[in-house]
Amino acid sequence: MTQPDSSIPADSPEIIVPDTDVIRFVRLRRLWEGLSVLFASKIAVAGLVIVLFWVGVAIFAPLLTPFSPLEQDWKHPNEGPSEEHILGTDELGRDLWSRLIYGARVVLVILPVSQNLWIPGGTAIWGVFVALTVGTTLGLISGYYGGWLDEITMRLLDAMMAIPVILLFLIIMTALGASAVNVVIAITIVGTPGIARLVRSLTLDIRTREYIRAAETRGESPWYIMFIEILPNARGPIIVDAMLRVGYAIFAMGTLGFLGLGMPPPSPDWGSMVAKGREFILQGSPWAALWPSLAIASLVVGLNLLADGLREESMRYQ
Amino acid sequence: MSKNEKLHPAIPDLKAAVNAGKLTRREFIRYATLLGVSAAAASQMIGISWPKKLAAAGPKRGGVLKISQSIQKIDHPARYSWLMPSNSMRMVFEYMTLTGPDNVTVPYLCESWSASEDLKTWTFNVRKGVKFNNGDSFTADDCIFTINQWLDQEVKSSLLGLVGSYLKPSGIEKVNDYQFKLHLERPEIAVPEHFFQYTAQVLNHRTFEGDMKKAPHGTGPYVLDTYKEGEICIVKRRSDYWQKAADGKPLPYMDEIRFIDMGSELAPQIAALKSGEIHLIDASDNPGPQIMKAVKGDANISVLPVATATTRVLRMRVDMKPWTDNRVRMALKLCQNREKILALAYQGEGLQGQDFHVYPKHPEYCEKPIPAYQPDKAKALLAKAGYPNGIDVNIAVGSEWTDIVRYAEVLKQDALPAGIRVNIQTMPTSQYWEKWTEVDLGVTPWTHRPLGTMVPNLAYVADDKGNPVPWNETRWVDKEFSALLDQASGTLDVEKRRQIFCKLEDIQVTRGSIGIAYWMNTWMCPSKKLKNVEAHPNLIFLFNEAWLDV
Repeated sequence: MTQPDSSIPADSPEIIVPDTDVIRFVRLRRLWEGLSVLFASKIAVAGLVIVLFWVGVAIFAPLLTPFSPLEQDWKHPNEGPSEEHILGTDELGRDLWSRLIYGARVVLVILPVSQNLWIPGGTAIWGVFVALTVGTTLGLISGYYGGWLDEITMRLLDAMMAIPVILLFLIIMTALGASAVNVVIAITIVGTPGIARLVRSLTLDIRTREYIRAAETRGESPWYIMFIEILPNARGPIIVDAMLRVGYAIFAMGTLGFLGLGMPPPSPDWGSMVAKGREFILQGSPWAALWPSLAIASLVVGLNLLADGLREESMRYQ
Repeated sequence: MSKNEKLHPAIPDLKAAVNAGKLTRREFIRYATLLGVSAAAASQMIGISWPKKLAAAGPKRGGVLKISQSIQKIDHPARYSWLMPSNSMRMVFEYMTLTGPDNVTVPYLCESWSASEDLKTWTFNVRKGVKFNNGDSFTADDCIFTINQWLDQEVKSSLLGLVGSYLKPSGIEKVNDYQFKLHLERPEIAVPEHFFQYTAQVLNHRTFEGDMKKAPHGTGPYVLDTYKEGEICIVKRRSDYWQKAADGKPLPYMDEIRFIDMGSELAPQIAALKSGEIHLIDASDNPGPQIMKAVKGDANISVLPVATATTRVLRMRVDMKPWTDNRVRMALKLCQNREKILALAYQGEGLQGQDFHVYPKHPEYCEKPIPAYQPDKAKALLAKAGYPNGIDVNIAVGSEWTDIVRYAEVLKQDALPAGIRVNIQTMPTSQYWEKWTEVDLGVTPWTHRPLGTMVPNLAYVADDKGNPVPWNETRWVDKEFSALLDQASGTLDVEKRRQIFCKLEDIQVTRGSIGIAYWMNTWMCPSKKLKNVEAHPNLIFLFNEAWLDV
């Protein structure tokens, strides 16, 4: 919707200057309010610290280790922590710390599209983002229009939700084959129904509000109402849900990797690291399975704490 | 061979070879028994006594043996594609011969045999007094019916490649109810060993109609009670088995054997073995050191080791690009750092391979150097083949064979400097078996076979019409190789065979379709309650005289 902006003449500084200042002020205040909600909760801060730790090591991974995650020191496989390899080595003599933090990159920072091409945004983040886009759109349409459209969409999504999540992941990954993009597709397909349901129920509530009536009376288009009037007012629960979903997505990636359906080897995929390392647990080398298990657990717990803290605080505000 | 029959004329020569130090005693016994001399007599000829199996101290009767095993889909024994189903079914169905853990083949359902001097006519005498578990008598008709099943194009048995290369259905002659003759197309020494291929279980010609589960009428010590794919297989003792125990009563000792499908995860199986819930894990499909390393030192579990010709074959389909070009195949083979692969993929528990399918303990093995890791040479070869910028290739591997996945990962890393960018495609093992002959590049497990001629005859030759045999997964057929292999298969003198094998090995190294980086040791790790068992190189179960100390 460009109408309100186009009404402001581009060459009239006396109007724009105070306006942008006001906008900046409002934005800063909102950000501060958001952050104060976050910092008010100790739980949320604890979660944030854990998540930021992983995001940090993922972004700066190349600076934090002298080893490539693929470099095989074949004379020293399955070794415990030492001065050279702080977390030890895996079954092929690769440095576990390198593999762990490069593995975090794939989850949180980059999406490998093909062997030589990657785009910013981690696999889990992309999966949740796409799921969020699709789910939100479906939920808004369903909730706002209602009627037969709502019935059909919701029954189809219900049917999808009736399939156990792991089974659905397995079916999708077996059909598509193992790759990062396919993991994103799988996370999207599995995540969409839940998000759509949430957004629909929020929409059902918000659409009865008076400002929606007002917008309708103004003659705004349904798309404007859905995305400009309803969506921003539903964002709180959606953000909390999205954070939980990133956690689920990381868990799903771990599960798929563990079952041999995640990133193809030798990618430092946390799930497949656990799967390969567990063969050596009974032989007395638990390291290769231990670290990635802890990594998955800590990151998922961090995201859950963050989401929980945010939810509690925002509920108190309400 | 009965006492009044003449010795095969080659026996004295073999004996002379032993005396001259050209042949080991074990190899002499192996060849002499193949030619129809009993193991005891053969041992006597070279002045050693054949170790008679001691009647184990106080075998007990009864008990239920529990084995963890993947219960696969079965219908026709000649179509088994791996050892596991043969292991449960060998309790019900038996073989005409038996190749023991020492690689020596001895009589079984055929009580004796003899070969003509030119090794082209073989006479088999069928054991009398054997009955199928449905009451039918076992006769030469059953043997002939079974062999004909292997040779039937419709059945699509792997034995068609092995036995079909020298025997046609018209070459089978029934002499009487208890004797039959085989007239071969070319000389072949390993006929009795071929009869113990795991796909060679003898069928009842009166009742078998294509599905062994519907008419499980074998001559074995147990009868089939339940077979549920993916779940359980139960076999129960029969009371009229032909073999007698030390106490004069019929074998077997145990009442029942349960094969339980616990999935392919090893950890729960090892835990079950340690806790005594099961007595044995059938590791024939995954014979790695994991089980051995996990149970080593456990007071209730024995570790029985055996060196084998079981291996992982890096196979390239010569009818699919880019593997049609030998230079590309050679380049990939040169990227194998064998010492590293053996150390990382198989924890160093085996022997290094040399890209031909004969292992150092095969009698006809001709010693060759271990090929070095030469990425520069590989790169140059690729450039000559028209890939100056390297190539991208996909390699198919079954994810449950973890040593193969590690092999592929090491290969990927070591092939990079040569410009070969390997993309590893993992898939569930069952999915790999669905297309193991179809993928262009993959790693296939091949099990141990006692003679050097056996696998090449299964995997690297064509049938009469020139089409690759069913298990020729690389479609590689080489005229010179086939001719030499035929010649070797009919050559009794080990020295001469070795000379032919020197050439065969060279051909496979210089223009073959496979890379072999390592040969695997293997172990059987039964509970100490299971008595009187021995590890077989194939990890097959020879449990007729096994008993449970319960």
